[in-house]
Amino acid sequence: MTERPARTSRLRIETDAEAMERDLSRLVLTLIELVRQLVERQCVRRMEQGDLSDEQIEVLGLTLMRLEDAMAEVCDRFGLSPADLNLDLGPLGTLLPQD
Amino acid sequence: MTVNDTGTYLYAVSHDTGSPCPEDLTGVAGTNVRTVAYAGLVAYVSTVPLERFGAEPLRQSMEDLDWLGETARAHHHVVEEVAASRPTAPVRLVTVYRGDDQIRDLLSQRHDDFTEALARVTGRQEWGVKAYVDLTTATPADQEVAGTGGPGAAYLRRRQMSLRGREEAWRQAAAQAEEIHDALSSVACASRRHRAQDPELSGRKELMILNGAYLVERDRREEFAHMVDKLRGRGVDVELTGPWAPYSFTELADGQAEIHDDG
Repeated sequence: MTERPARTSRLRIETDAEAMERDLSRLVLTLIELVRQLVERQCVRRMEQGDLSDEQIEVLGLTLMRLEDAMAEVCDRFGLSPADLNLDLGPLGTLLPQD
Repeated sequence: MTVNDTGTYLYAVSHDTGSPCPEDLTGVAGTNVRTVAYAGLVAYVSTVPLERFGAEPLRQSMEDLDWLGETARAHHHVVEEVAASRPTAPVRLVTVYRGDDQIRDLLSQRHDDFTEALARVTGRQEWGVKAYVDLTTATPADQEVAGTGGPGAAYLRRRQMSLRGREEAWRQAAAQAEEIHDALSSVACASRRHRAQDPELSGRKELMILNGAYLVERDRREEFAHMVDKLRGRGVDVELTGPWAPYSFTELADGQAEIHDDG
């Protein structure tokens, strides 16, 4: 029962221009998605603690919802799926939660 | 080829019973397997070219999954052949020494550790158990949440439910893994939990919640298999593999690297 450190889909930045552009877009979108999810969690936490007014909740919710739609649209344009934005950090697992 | 161009690849260690090495046993890179006996122990080894098995070439080879797979299969084959007929302490994949002298040093310096490891696995086999749960079915993601406010508030509440659902599902999964491990450990002589593999490695999309190794007496194997069957269900799939050579239960206390590097 030998454990193989098999990881095939590492994010590699290659040197030809087209691949570079694609990988860079992927990296940038990954970071945006990470920040978006962090903000979303923070909003949920603050909502649970009750330190947001109804009005604030509504505005934040709408903004985050639109941001999610916008992300989906941009990803679509670059031919990326949500799983493509999930960097594999090896022993640390993945950058974003998998679902 | 001078002596310096080759190393001695170690597969496994067993008691020296005077029985000959299995004939025509082929190891890694097509090499012949032979034995080195010393101090009542016997090591199963083969001579390998250092241009492929030296420290630096190995660092590169480990990235080559085809080569790694082939080498792992060859290594495993030798260990299985040896373990089929006697108590065996398998050695980790690609353990290469400078020569037979270093192997004899190892057998004499670690004699007691090997003897202890061999005593531990005598009459016992290793079984692997992996448990999976499908977390996607447990998350009530799209369910409508009642509440006041407009679409923005509803969106945030949906996210809240989904985050909470996921946390709850993780907690449950961890508890189930604990339960399964305890139940299996009660039938085994020894157990070890390895790190759960991610879906890319396991080849399954469900979450692996348990990756355990269990050392089981030969005559309790049916009882063990029965226990595994009983633990299936409740959204958990339990996978049993084996019997394996006792890889998880024969590691020496502080590794084997120190001899490897000196002299």
